[in-house]
Order: sequence, then C-alpha cells, then structure tokens
Amino acid sequence: MFNYRTIAVFKREIKEKLMSKSFILMTILLPVFMFGIMGIQTLLMSYNEETRASLDLVTESYELTLAFENEFAQREFVKNGNMVFYYFTMSREEFENYLKKNKQDIISEKKTGMIFIPSSALQDKEVEYYAKTGKDITLTEKLGGAINKVLIENYFGTKDLTQDELDYARKWVDIASYKVSEKDEVEKEGYGNLILSYLFAFLLYMSLLMMGQMTMNSVIEEKNSRVVEVLLSSVSSKELMTGKILGASATGTLQMAIWLLPVIMVVSTSWFVLPDKYMFSVTAFQMIYMLVNFFMGLITFLGLFATVGAIFESQQDAQSGMWPVMLLAIIPFFIAMSLVMNPNSPIGQIASLLPFASIIVMPTKMALVDIPIWQLVLAMTVNIGTIFAIFPIAGKIYRVGILRTGKKPSWNEIVSWVKYKY
Amino acid sequence: MHALEVRNLTKTFNSTVAVDNASFEVPDGSIFGLIGRNGAGKTTTIRMMMNIYLPDNGEVILRGADVGRNFKSKVGYLPEERGLYKKMTVMDTLLYFAEVKGKAGKNVVAAANNYLKKFDLYDRRTSKVQDLSKGNQQKLQFITTVLHDPEFLILDEPFSGLDPINTNLLKEIILEMKQKGKVIIFSTHLMEFAEKMCDHIAMIDHGKIILKGSLSEIKAKFAQRNVSLVHDGDIAFLRNNPIVEKIEDFGNTTGIRVKETGDVQKLLKLLVDNNVTVKKFDANDISLHEIFIELAGHESNKPEEVKHV
Repeated sequence: MFNYRTIAVFKREIKEKLMSKSFILMTILLPVFMFGIMGIQTLLMSYNEETRASLDLVTESYELTLAFENEFAQREFVKNGNMVFYYFTMSREEFENYLKKNKQDIISEKKTGMIFIPSSALQDKEVEYYAKTGKDITLTEKLGGAINKVLIENYFGTKDLTQDELDYARKWVDIASYKVSEKDEVEKEGYGNLILSYLFAFLLYMSLLMMGQMTMNSVIEEKNSRVVEVLLSSVSSKELMTGKILGASATGTLQMAIWLLPVIMVVSTSWFVLPDKYMFSVTAFQMIYMLVNFFMGLITFLGLFATVGAIFESQQDAQSGMWPVMLLAIIPFFIAMSLVMNPNSPIGQIASLLPFASIIVMPTKMALVDIPIWQLVLAMTVNIGTIFAIFPIAGKIYRVGILRTGKKPSWNEIVSWVKYKY
Repeated sequence: MHALEVRNLTKTFNSTVAVDNASFEVPDGSIFGLIGRNGAGKTTTIRMMMNIYLPDNGEVILRGADVGRNFKSKVGYLPEERGLYKKMTVMDTLLYFAEVKGKAGKNVVAAANNYLKKFDLYDRRTSKVQDLSKGNQQKLQFITTVLHDPEFLILDEPFSGLDPINTNLLKEIILEMKQKGKVIIFSTHLMEFAEKMCDHIAMIDHGKIILKGSLSEIKAKFAQRNVSLVHDGDIAFLRNNPIVEKIEDFGNTTGIRVKETGDVQKLLKLLVDNNVTVKKFDANDISLHEIFIELAGHESNKPEEVKHV
C-alpha cells in the first residue's frame, strides 16, 4: 500500500493543502479570531458595567430605608454615578399602587426598575425586583452583595455581636486549588489549565472539521473534474485514498503544531511571561501525545469525510451526507466543554476512551487532570482499532463511489455498495 | 505470443450484464480497435483491463503472464471522461502524472519540455490548467498519457469531443507510437476512424464480442458479396431482382450485396443492360460500418456465435 504511487499522491496532497488560500488564512486567522472573540466579550462585559441605571428602592420601614441609603452611598456604583437610587418607605399595598402608577416609566425605560424589600426579608432574605428585564444578571449580582450586607447587619445588629464576628460571618469561603500529581511538588493551580483545556477542545474541533471539509471537497473535485479515472489508471483506489488521507492528516497535524507553538513557547522558554493566575502547566509528553492522537484522529475522520465526498457529486449534495460524520465531532466537542466544569464526570471518563470521541476529549481532559498511562494507551489502541475497522468499509464505498456519476444514491444503495465485488 | 490477451471477462452491475464472457487478443505492434455502439460494454471492458474494475470472472494476460500491479505503469491511459486538476500548473500536472507512473527526475522534465514545445504549450508551462483553452487542455491531457513512455496506449473513445486540429494531433501521436513499436488499443463507436487506423479489431455488442480478427481479413471475407457503387440513373429495378440480397444507400455510394459470390458479374451486366451510368463499381469493398450494421444493426437478428477470422 505504501509505494512510490502513494507517496506521490501524499506529496501532492500536502502541497495542494499547504498552498491553498483557505489553509493559510485559517491557520493565521483562527488564533486572531479566537482572541478577537475573547476581546469582544470582555469589551461587552465591561461596557455592561458602565450602563446607567435609575432605580427605586422601597422598604416597609423607615430605619431599613435609611440603612440602605447609608450603605449604598459608600458603594462604588453609586459614587461614580452609574446607578442612581431613589429611596421610599411604603407598605406593600402602597408599593403595589405606586408600581401600577409608574409602570409606564419602567416600560419606557425612564426608570430601570424597582427593588422592594418587604419587612419579611429581615427573616427570610427574600427581596423583589421589578423591571422590564427581570433577570438582569449583572445588575442583580452587583446589588445582591450590598443588599445582603444591610440585611445581615440589621439581623445581627440586634443580637449583640462584634464587628469582627459580623465580618467573619459575611466572608465567603475562599477555596485555593492545588493540583496533586505524580510530580514531586504540589502546584497551586490558576485558571491557566482551564483556559488551555477550552483551547484544546476548540482547536481540535475546528481543525478536524476544517481538514474534513477540505478533504471532502478535494475528493468531490477529483470526481467532478473526472480526473479520478486518469488517476486510477496509475494508482489503485486504495493507494489514492491512503495517500490523500495521510497527506491531509499530516497537513492538519502541522496546522495544530503551529497553533500550539505559542503554548509550547510559554512553557519551554521565558520569552513570554503570563500572570500567575493564568499560568498553565503542560509537559512535552502531553503535547506530543496530543499531536500523535490528533494525527490518528484525523486519519479516522478524514477516512469518513473522503468516503462521504466519494458518494456525492456536488458540495451541496454532500452537506446532507456530512451530518452523521459532523455529529461524531460535535458531540465529543460538547462533552469536552462540559469537562471543564467537572473533569472527572463519568461521561467524560467514558468518552475519553471511545473511538472518535477520545480524539477531542482526551487532550482536553489531559490539560485538567492527570490521566493514568494505561488509559492513554487504551485510547490510542482503540483509535488504531477503529482505523482498521472502518477502512475496509470506507475504502469499498470510496472505490465504488468515485466512479459513480448520475443521480444521488440512496442510503440503501450505499449499503449495497459494500457488498459489491468491485 | 500476443501482447495482451483478454480471456472470458465478465462484469455484472446489479442485474445488468455489462460485459459477457469477452475474449480477444491484441497482437504486438498493432493498433487494435474495440468497436461498438454506446453502451455496448467498451468502457467496462477497458476499465477491467486497467484493473479499475475487478472482473466478476476472467483474466487479462500480459505477454503470457497475468497482468501484475505494475501493468498500470506500463500503460498510458486516456479515459473517455478526461480531466485534470484545474488549479495545478501545466508543468506540475505533467510531473505529477509521470510521478505516479514511477517516472521522475531530469529526464522527465526534459521530455515534458520537448512535448510542450512540440505542442505549442511551452510558454504556458507555468499557467494553471484552468487558464488554458479547452483545446490546450486536451493537448495537455495527451502529453500526460504518453510522457512516461508507456509500452501500451489504451484510449477510450479518444476522438470524442476533439476539434479537427486535435483529432489530427492525436492521430499523429498514435501513429508515432506505433512506429516506436508500442501497442495501441482504442475503443470507438466511430467506424471510419477504426477503419482508417486499426490493424485488428474486436466488435462488441450487448457486452458480447461478436467479431474479431485482423481488419483486412475481416473485410476480405465480408466483401466477397459486396459491391460499392457510384452511379447515375435509376436502380430501383434491382430491389426485386433475385440475385440481390440487400441495397443500402449511403448517399454518395450505394452498397449492394448479392446472394452468391458469382453474382457480382451478373450485377454489373444488369446495370449496363438497364442503361445505368456506372461511375465506380468496386467489388470486394465493404466498410466496417456496413459490417457492423450487418452484425449488430438489427435487434431481432442477434448473432449468437463469435465470427472469428
């Protein structure tokens, strides 16, 4: 299977992909795009913080109103004028009437909203917020702390406690995370590896789909331009498929290596210094494993994408045949995303060993927790097994498909191709 | 020994028999024509010879031995549905197609340059294929077929879609290859081409080989009762004459077949006696087209046996 013919196809495939505009653009633009997205998100968040709000704060007792007024006056969001509060004391019935009367102000956004703190809140801490957008998370989160503080002070103020005791009660638990691994020292862990695992999942997924699409299109192009029969007079369909897939897989792995270069440089050189909070730790072994794992994953996936390409004659038709293969990449991607919340979830555990899924899930998981060697070996073995299991079938469909022209085949027909003696 | 021998090739798609027990022999140094109408099974036969399709049955023998994997490298193949990579440059295309045949290096580059100069494409060698005219793309395709100096040339409907200039060019290539002692096999439904170029033919219809052998012998055998006539005057009286089996009007010429070999002279006398001006009376002449029509023309009259000359 590996001879001068396969090598010639392999070389052409690498050259064609590396030189293609879409490859160059994606390789450069994806990181730019990713940082861009992050930047825009941060920008939007900070912009949110500056939105001005005009709020009515209503309590049922004058003392409580006063307590809020005093507390809020010291808060940053009142001091810098971003939030303006009007304080009222009224009973629930009076408030309900007041709300009814001023409903239009809220709807027209003249007033952002009204906070009603009933006397019962002193016992159960349940307060009410009336606004056009009731679930304004940034606003309610910001005010929650301040309101809580007033309520706590009011509650404990009558219970004869010192300020120290109050402060203690108010303080939130701070969990410092330390990562225990095979390494000698225990490391304090920041957000770095969390971000890294996101990054891995995202890059693996993007590159997989991109290389898949490119391979599929190149198969369709060969079929469409009828160059395939000329090729088949020199190489067998098996050699052609092998050369194409290995070529594209090597290109994809190279792309991944380029993307990972900054990560490798941060770890191995002192050219870049990240704040402690964002510092991450990866080992050379992890990077190599990730690239090897990805290379094999590409072989598996590209085999499927090439097969889909061989079935259809135009890219439009191929879209409909692509979704089962896409799902094999999308589901693991979401599992990988969920791992960030809980690296030891059973689903993640299983997915990191399953064929197709392990390609994205395992590296993501690796960035978060130490994985025993036997699991890494098992995942790799499963991947190799998958390649051997799907290629005889994929190769058969590919062989029949690339010389078929005319109407779009049905799924039944495709199944029957597998049984053909071609 | 034959250069190439096809033995009992059979191929079935679903329930359709595309090629049915086809056998023929291609002698060394010959131009061999596989002829038949569209859908007769020519392309399927050729694809099986090229090992693009796996035959259900039968084998292809190359100089006495089973064709190995390396047969492909010895063949220059021009499929009916041709194509090139649109975004590759002319030179890259040539080198790539030579490389998959196992030929690379300086010699190939030199040979490629020679061909490009010969075909007036040298100044386009760095252009992309998509920027060439259709005629030039066809020329480029010819070069890819012969650049690796193949022993065999297998051409599937080579003249379809070619303009007259490229048709002549391809003819030249074929004759040049013949002079170099290569074996050329081509399929066509155009009888005139086959007649002008082939030494040997195999005629295929409905997947079956219905006639095969050397063209001159085939023609000699079929021509014995055939006359090609160019005349002035009415020959309608021949239609009911007992010595005439068939009359076919080809426009300029009329093909007449008599019932017995000895009737040819009687026919000439009959024409002269009836005041028909005979401009050309060619006994022993039959076109391949006529033979084909005779053998495969009538659906009801399917010949079962292979006529081997």
